[in-house]
Amino acid sequence: MKYTVIVTPKKAILDPQGKAIKNVAQNYLGKTIDSIRVGKYFEIETDEPLETVEKLAKNILSNEVIEDYRVLKS
Amino acid sequence: MDCKYACDVMSVKSEFVWYEETSVKGFDCVILPGGFSYGDYLRSGVLAKFSPIMNAVLDFAKKGGYVMGICNGFQILTEIHLLVGTLLKNNNLRFIHKDVNLKLENSSCFFTRYSKKDVLKLPIAHGEGNYFCSDDDLKYLEDNGMIAMRYSSSDGKMDIANNPNGSVANIAGITNKEGNVFGLMPHPERAVGDLGKDGEYIWKSLGI
Repeated sequence: MKYTVIVTPKKAILDPQGKAIKNVAQNYLGKTIDSIRVGKYFEIETDEPLETVEKLAKNILSNEVIEDYRVLKS
Repeated sequence: MDCKYACDVMSVKSEFVWYEETSVKGFDCVILPGGFSYGDYLRSGVLAKFSPIMNAVLDFAKKGGYVMGICNGFQILTEIHLLVGTLLKNNNLRFIHKDVNLKLENSSCFFTRYSKKDVLKLPIAHGEGNYFCSDDDLKYLEDNGMIAMRYSSSDGKMDIANNPNGSVANIAGITNKEGNVFGLMPHPERAVGDLGKDGEYIWKSLGI
Protein backbone atom coordinates (compact mmCIF):
# COMPACT_ATOMS: atom_id res chain seq x y z
CA MET A 1 0.00 0.00 0.00
CA LYS A 2 1.20 3.51 -0.70
CA TYR A 3 0.40 6.42 1.52
CA THR A 4 1.22 10.07 1.30
CA VAL A 5 1.58 12.23 4.39
CA ILE A 6 1.58 16.00 4.07
CA VAL A 7 2.68 18.10 7.02
CA THR A 8 2.02 21.83 6.98
CA PRO A 9 2.68 24.62 9.49
CA LYS A 10 -0.47 25.61 11.39
CA LYS A 11 -2.16 28.75 10.10
CA ALA A 12 -1.27 30.76 13.20
CA ILE A 13 2.44 29.97 12.93
CA LEU A 14 4.72 32.44 11.24
CA ASP A 15 6.59 30.63 8.47
CA PRO A 16 9.75 32.65 7.80
CA GLN A 17 10.90 30.17 5.15
CA GLY A 18 7.68 30.54 3.20
CA LYS A 19 7.84 34.31 3.57
CA ALA A 20 11.40 34.44 2.19
CA ILE A 21 10.41 32.26 -0.78
CA LYS A 22 7.30 34.36 -1.39
CA ASN A 23 9.36 37.55 -1.55
CA VAL A 24 11.83 36.06 -4.03
CA ALA A 25 8.99 34.54 -6.08
CA GLN A 26 7.25 37.92 -6.34
CA ASN A 27 10.43 39.63 -7.46
CA TYR A 28 11.13 36.89 -10.02
CA LEU A 29 7.63 36.81 -11.44
CA GLY A 30 6.79 40.46 -11.07
CA LYS A 31 3.37 39.25 -9.88
CA THR A 32 1.57 39.18 -6.56
CA ILE A 33 1.75 36.00 -4.53
CA ASP A 34 -0.49 36.17 -1.48
CA SER A 35 1.15 33.44 0.53
CA ILE A 36 3.61 30.56 0.38
CA ARG A 37 3.85 28.13 3.23
CA VAL A 38 6.45 25.38 3.37
CA GLY A 39 5.56 21.91 4.55
CA LYS A 40 6.85 18.35 4.27
CA TYR A 41 5.80 15.49 2.03
CA PHE A 42 6.33 11.81 2.83
CA GLU A 43 5.81 8.79 0.57
CA ILE A 44 5.30 5.67 2.63
CA GLU A 45 5.01 2.06 1.47
CA THR A 46 3.63 -0.49 3.93
CA ASP A 47 0.97 -3.19 4.18
CA GLU A 48 -0.14 -1.75 7.51
CA PRO A 49 -3.61 -0.13 7.73
CA LEU A 50 -4.35 3.58 7.61
CA GLU A 51 -4.46 3.80 11.44
CA THR A 52 -0.81 2.81 11.67
CA VAL A 53 0.21 5.52 9.25
CA GLU A 54 -2.00 8.02 11.10
CA LYS A 55 -0.14 7.13 14.30
CA LEU A 56 3.20 7.61 12.58
CA ALA A 57 2.10 10.95 11.12
CA LYS A 58 0.78 12.17 14.46
CA ASN A 59 3.63 11.05 16.70
CA ILE A 60 6.74 11.28 14.58
CA LEU A 61 6.24 13.04 11.26
CA SER A 62 4.50 16.10 12.71
CA ASN A 63 4.64 18.16 15.89
CA GLU A 64 1.13 19.05 16.99
CA VAL A 65 2.27 22.29 18.59
CA ILE A 66 3.10 23.81 15.24
CA GLU A 67 1.98 21.51 12.45
CA ASP A 68 -1.09 19.84 10.92
CA TYR A 69 -0.94 16.62 8.95
CA ARG A 70 -3.02 14.85 6.30
CA VAL A 71 -2.71 11.19 5.38
CA LEU A 72 -3.74 10.22 1.85
CA LYS A 73 -4.07 6.66 0.58
CA SER A 74 -2.98 6.30 -3.04
CA MET B 1 32.73 17.30 25.04
CA ASP B 2 32.05 20.90 26.07
CA CYS B 3 29.81 19.74 28.89
CA LYS B 4 32.44 17.26 30.05
CA TYR B 5 34.97 20.11 30.02
CA ALA B 6 32.63 22.27 32.09
CA CYS B 7 32.02 19.47 34.60
CA ASP B 8 35.76 18.87 34.92
CA VAL B 9 36.54 22.57 35.37
CA MET B 10 33.79 22.87 37.96
CA SER B 11 34.79 19.64 39.74
CA VAL B 12 31.44 18.04 38.99
CA LYS B 13 31.95 14.29 38.65
CA SER B 14 30.56 13.20 35.29
CA GLU B 15 30.47 10.34 32.83
CA PHE B 16 29.32 9.94 29.24
CA VAL B 17 26.31 7.72 28.69
CA TRP B 18 26.04 6.23 25.20
CA TYR B 19 22.70 6.74 23.43
CA GLU B 20 22.21 3.00 23.00
CA GLU B 21 22.42 2.35 26.72
CA THR B 22 19.22 1.79 28.65
CA SER B 23 19.90 3.03 32.18
CA VAL B 24 20.94 6.20 33.99
CA LYS B 25 21.01 4.47 37.36
CA GLY B 26 23.32 6.02 39.91
CA PHE B 27 23.28 9.51 38.39
CA ASP B 28 21.93 12.60 40.17
CA CYS B 29 21.56 14.65 37.02
CA VAL B 30 21.37 13.95 33.29
CA ILE B 31 22.60 16.55 30.81
CA LEU B 32 21.47 16.39 27.20
CA PRO B 33 24.11 18.49 25.47
CA GLY B 34 23.84 20.51 22.30
CA GLY B 35 24.78 19.35 18.83
CA PHE B 36 22.83 17.95 15.91
CA SER B 37 21.42 14.57 16.88
CA TYR B 38 20.54 12.51 13.79
CA GLY B 39 21.58 15.43 11.61
CA ASP B 40 18.46 17.36 12.70
CA TYR B 41 16.55 15.32 10.10
CA LEU B 42 12.76 15.70 10.11
CA ARG B 43 12.80 18.15 13.07
CA SER B 44 15.49 19.03 15.57
CA GLY B 45 15.50 16.53 18.40
CA VAL B 46 12.62 14.37 17.20
CA LEU B 47 14.57 11.30 16.11
CA ALA B 48 16.74 11.38 19.24
CA LYS B 49 13.67 10.93 21.39
CA PHE B 50 13.46 7.36 20.13
CA SER B 51 17.04 6.52 21.21
CA PRO B 52 17.17 3.58 23.63
CA ILE B 53 18.52 5.78 26.43
CA MET B 54 15.59 8.20 26.28
CA ASN B 55 13.15 5.83 27.99
CA ALA B 56 15.52 5.77 30.95
CA VAL B 57 15.84 9.56 30.89
CA LEU B 58 12.06 9.98 30.74
CA ASP B 59 11.62 7.61 33.65
CA PHE B 60 14.40 9.36 35.60
CA ALA B 61 12.78 12.77 35.05
CA LYS B 62 9.32 11.55 36.01
CA LYS B 63 10.73 10.27 39.29
CA GLY B 64 12.13 13.74 40.01
CA GLY B 65 15.68 13.30 38.70
CA TYR B 66 17.34 16.49 37.47
CA VAL B 67 17.58 16.81 33.70
CA MET B 68 19.13 19.72 31.83
CA GLY B 69 18.88 19.99 28.05
CA ILE B 70 21.09 22.50 26.30
CA CYS B 71 20.31 23.69 22.76
CA ASN B 72 19.59 20.45 20.84
CA GLY B 73 19.01 18.89 24.27
CA PHE B 74 16.26 21.49 24.86
CA GLN B 75 14.73 20.55 21.50
CA ILE B 76 14.74 16.88 22.54
CA LEU B 77 13.04 17.71 25.87
CA THR B 78 10.20 19.48 24.05
CA GLU B 79 9.80 16.63 21.56
CA ILE B 80 9.61 14.13 24.42
CA HIS B 81 6.99 16.38 26.10
CA LEU B 82 8.95 16.90 29.31
CA LEU B 83 8.78 20.60 28.44
CA VAL B 84 5.97 22.45 26.68
CA GLY B 85 6.26 24.24 23.37
CA THR B 86 8.78 23.76 20.61
CA LEU B 87 11.67 25.51 18.86
CA LEU B 88 11.25 26.94 15.39
CA LYS B 89 13.78 28.27 12.91
CA ASN B 90 15.18 31.62 13.96
CA ASN B 91 12.93 34.33 12.61
CA ASN B 92 15.76 35.78 10.52
CA LEU B 93 16.45 32.26 9.10
CA ARG B 94 20.11 32.55 10.02
CA PHE B 95 22.33 30.57 12.31
CA ILE B 96 23.12 32.91 15.19
CA HIS B 97 26.33 32.67 17.13
CA LYS B 98 26.96 35.39 19.69
CA ASP B 99 26.93 36.25 23.36
CA VAL B 100 23.54 37.26 24.74
CA ASN B 101 22.30 38.64 28.03
CA LEU B 102 19.80 36.58 29.95
CA LYS B 103 17.57 37.82 32.73
CA LEU B 104 17.00 35.15 35.36
CA GLU B 105 13.30 35.00 36.13
CA ASN B 106 12.97 32.54 38.97
CA SER B 107 15.32 32.79 41.93
CA SER B 108 14.13 29.45 43.27
CA CYS B 109 14.93 27.61 40.03
CA PHE B 110 17.22 24.70 40.97
CA PHE B 111 19.45 25.18 37.93
CA THR B 112 20.14 28.89 38.46
CA ARG B 113 19.76 29.16 42.24
CA TYR B 114 23.43 29.89 42.98
CA SER B 115 23.73 32.73 40.52
CA LYS B 116 25.04 35.92 42.09
CA LYS B 117 23.79 37.94 39.15
CA ASP B 118 20.32 38.72 37.82
CA VAL B 119 21.56 38.92 34.25
CA LEU B 120 23.95 36.34 32.82
CA LYS B 121 26.01 36.63 29.68
CA LEU B 122 26.16 33.33 27.78
CA PRO B 123 26.79 32.34 24.17
CA ILE B 124 24.07 31.10 21.85
CA ALA B 125 24.79 29.09 18.70
CA HIS B 126 21.70 27.82 16.92
CA GLY B 127 19.59 27.91 13.79
CA GLU B 128 16.40 26.75 15.48
CA GLY B 129 16.10 28.47 18.82
CA ASN B 130 12.93 30.42 18.26
CA TYR B 131 10.84 29.24 21.20
CA PHE B 132 7.17 28.89 20.41
CA CYS B 133 4.16 27.80 22.45
CA SER B 134 0.41 28.43 22.42
CA ASP B 135 -1.07 31.34 24.38
CA ASP B 136 -2.47 28.86 26.89
CA ASP B 137 0.93 27.27 27.39
CA LEU B 138 2.56 30.69 27.80
CA LYS B 139 0.07 31.51 30.53
CA TYR B 140 0.74 28.12 32.12
CA LEU B 141 4.50 28.82 32.08
CA GLU B 142 4.08 32.30 33.54
CA ASP B 143 1.50 31.34 36.18
CA ASN B 144 3.69 28.54 37.48
CA GLY B 145 7.03 30.38 37.45
CA MET B 146 8.41 28.01 34.83
CA ILE B 147 10.24 30.62 32.75
CA ALA B 148 13.83 30.39 33.97
CA MET B 149 15.51 32.95 31.71
CA ARG B 150 14.65 35.46 29.01
CA TYR B 151 16.76 37.29 26.44
CA SER B 152 17.40 40.81 27.69
CA SER B 153 19.73 43.78 27.60
CA SER B 154 22.70 43.86 29.99
CA ASP B 155 20.52 45.74 32.47
CA GLY B 156 17.70 43.24 32.20
CA LYS B 157 15.39 45.00 29.73
CA MET B 158 13.40 42.34 27.88
CA ASP B 159 12.24 43.82 24.61
CA ILE B 160 12.19 42.98 20.94
CA ALA B 161 15.56 44.64 20.35
CA ASN B 162 17.12 42.09 22.69
CA ASN B 163 15.34 39.09 21.24
CA PRO B 164 17.85 37.38 18.92
CA ASN B 165 15.66 34.72 17.35
CA GLY B 166 11.98 35.67 17.66
CA SER B 167 11.21 33.57 20.74
CA VAL B 168 7.78 34.07 22.30
CA ALA B 169 8.06 36.45 25.30
CA ASN B 170 11.87 36.47 24.88
CA ILE B 171 12.02 32.96 26.36
CA ALA B 172 15.50 31.43 26.43
CA GLY B 173 15.02 28.73 29.05
CA ILE B 174 12.12 27.03 30.83
CA THR B 175 11.52 24.29 33.36
CA ASN B 176 8.73 21.81 33.86
CA LYS B 177 6.16 22.52 36.55
CA GLU B 178 8.02 20.45 39.15
CA GLY B 179 11.23 22.34 38.36
CA ASN B 180 13.47 19.29 37.89
CA VAL B 181 13.66 19.49 34.09
CA PHE B 182 15.35 22.50 32.52
CA GLY B 183 15.82 23.35 28.86
CA LEU B 184 17.76 26.32 27.53
CA MET B 185 19.12 27.46 24.19
CA PRO B 186 22.25 29.26 25.50
CA HIS B 187 25.40 27.28 26.23
CA PRO B 188 26.49 27.60 29.88
CA GLU B 189 29.20 24.98 29.25
CA ARG B 190 30.94 27.45 26.94
CA ALA B 191 31.21 30.10 29.64
CA VAL B 192 33.29 28.40 32.31
CA GLY B 193 36.99 28.40 33.14
CA ASP B 194 38.99 30.14 30.43
CA LEU B 195 35.87 30.67 28.32
CA GLY B 196 33.88 32.87 30.69
CA LYS B 197 32.41 33.10 34.14
CA ASP B 198 28.65 33.30 33.99
CA GLY B 199 28.16 29.67 32.94
CA GLU B 200 29.76 28.63 36.19
CA TYR B 201 26.69 29.71 38.15
CA ILE B 202 24.65 27.05 36.38
CA TRP B 203 27.18 24.31 37.11
CA LYS B 204 27.49 25.46 40.71
CA SER B 205 23.71 25.32 40.99
CA LEU B 206 23.79 21.65 40.04
CA GLY B 207 25.49 21.40 43.43
CA ILE B 208 26.19 17.75 43.02
